[in-house]
Amino acid sequence: MYKSKKLKMLPPRAAAAKVIANVLRGQSLSTLLPEYVDSVAEKDRSLFKEMCFGSLRWYPQIAILIKQLVQKPLKEKDLEIQGLIACGLYQLAHMRISEHASINETVAATKALNRIWAKGLVNAVLRTFQREKLALLDEYKDHLVFQHAHPKWLIKKLNEAWPPNDVLSIIEANNQRGPMTLRVNTTKISRNDYLAKLKDADIQAHKTPNASSGIQLLSAVDVTQLPEFASGAVSVQDEAAQLAASLLQLESGQRVLDACCAPGGKTCHMLEMQPKIASLVGVDSEPRRLVRVKENLTRLDLCAKLIAADAGELTSWWDKKPFQRILLDAPCSATGVIRRHPDIKILRKPADIDKLITTQTRLLQRLWQTLANEGILVYATCSVLPEENDHIVKSFIEGRVDVEVVTIQATWGKTTPYGRQLFPVPKGHDGFYYAKLRKVGQTIE
Amino acid sequence: MAILNILQYPNPRLRIKALPVAMVDTKVKQLLNDMFETMIDAKGIGLAATQVDVHQRVIVMDLSEDNSDPQVFINPEIEVLDEATTPYDEGCLSIPGFYETVERPCHVMISALDGEGIAFKKEAKGLLAICIQHEIDHLEGKVFVDYLSPLKRQIIRKKMKKK
Repeated sequence: MYKSKKLKMLPPRAAAAKVIANVLRGQSLSTLLPEYVDSVAEKDRSLFKEMCFGSLRWYPQIAILIKQLVQKPLKEKDLEIQGLIACGLYQLAHMRISEHASINETVAATKALNRIWAKGLVNAVLRTFQREKLALLDEYKDHLVFQHAHPKWLIKKLNEAWPPNDVLSIIEANNQRGPMTLRVNTTKISRNDYLAKLKDADIQAHKTPNASSGIQLLSAVDVTQLPEFASGAVSVQDEAAQLAASLLQLESGQRVLDACCAPGGKTCHMLEMQPKIASLVGVDSEPRRLVRVKENLTRLDLCAKLIAADAGELTSWWDKKPFQRILLDAPCSATGVIRRHPDIKILRKPADIDKLITTQTRLLQRLWQTLANEGILVYATCSVLPEENDHIVKSFIEGRVDVEVVTIQATWGKTTPYGRQLFPVPKGHDGFYYAKLRKVGQTIE
Repeated sequence: MAILNILQYPNPRLRIKALPVAMVDTKVKQLLNDMFETMIDAKGIGLAATQVDVHQRVIVMDLSEDNSDPQVFINPEIEVLDEATTPYDEGCLSIPGFYETVERPCHVMISALDGEGIAFKKEAKGLLAICIQHEIDHLEGKVFVDYLSPLKRQIIRKKMKKK
């Protein structure tokens, strides 16, 4: 075989339409973006990404419009056209670009998608929306899913869990872009010194209010533009995720476990924060994702023992030596990071939550066995749903005598009966949950 | 070492189904060496034995820019891990000068023997996944233009015959 002469270049709207179509078929945005970004000309890449993220972010709303404006539902094989119309409606409803140009470009993308038959359809739908925009938006002004652009089941769950003001602020944050936040590798450079370097590079930034090594950028840049990124001075990590390492109270000589460690942000942070821990074991069930952890460790000059295994299957990986510290960053619905993964709005289904709860409970119960007496386990998720957070901890400690819930003293987040919940904040940190549990020796009576 | 002659489409010998390799002996190793040399000479990234008129299930590949990553697949089998397809403009050493978009599953598991006859498994995404499917097609007597519309195939066929 010959390698392709050149990648077949796609106009940004056609590429975005393909990405959206494949999300609708069940693939995740984070795997699709790297696959398609190379097929978009460099100058169009930011527009391409904006259209992928934006169309998915508003998809629950856009889907309602499409249902109304397209008479006959599109076939599975033509989801590219559904994606293209979504992309067009997103531009008309939410982007400040010339309506005339965006309609023309969107209609023209049918050719690059090899679906020229849909030209008339796409044109008609977009022009109808343009003409009747105000009437349509007015028609749905009391429609919950339309206004919030979240799936109905999720709005319901949020309303059951939190007071109305919190729900509104979660939804508002989810519908905005998340900021780009860095974690300074303090074994190499101090936060102040790195801020100075950013200033020299004309990148506007400020310290994060809660995480001690965090720097938030005013607007996102490519990592290659960050001073000394390749040599490990900083990593990209949200502020909420940066709070995990300090909760663990790491001390020299400890054996530490990071269960479900990929992609390794917190793993690396722990080693940066306490380079003198005796050993750090990182476990993750996906060997492919461990490659990412390895890359991060190498870039930052850090060392950890990585094991590809299901952390809950102790016999497959545990050497029976107890850990003094465990971070269990459990697989979760990721409902606290929807703004970074807007495809969650489409892909996540209510039934997934029940499966996740089973996994979370199982991991907590199994890993507790590997914790040393007086050891600390931090349970974390990037979920804003109590059933994955407080409820898991509550049902775990019920009937146990060897566990003590440690109150987290902090300025961030909201106190819950068993831990602390962070909601995603516009221009601030992601949604996250932390609970801190200590193993206490049974007293002999 | 020798540079072998590459069969050109629409040569009917490209339609012969290859037979499994019974043993990776010196003869097969010699074939591998020659195939690598032939492939590199033609500036290709993958070559199936069928293309050099040897009808055994042998594939060589090097996806790197600088020929630093030679790969061998003997008696290869694939299992599709993800039905989602990805388009790629494929070209073929047996159909030089033509590049056409073919859609193939983008995520497969390959099982094969290596150059020493040792069995291995390899998960493949992206170019590797596409290339292994393209080359296994050759072993089955298929070429990538078979996936195109009859009209396009006819045009390529005529142009190739004129050469």
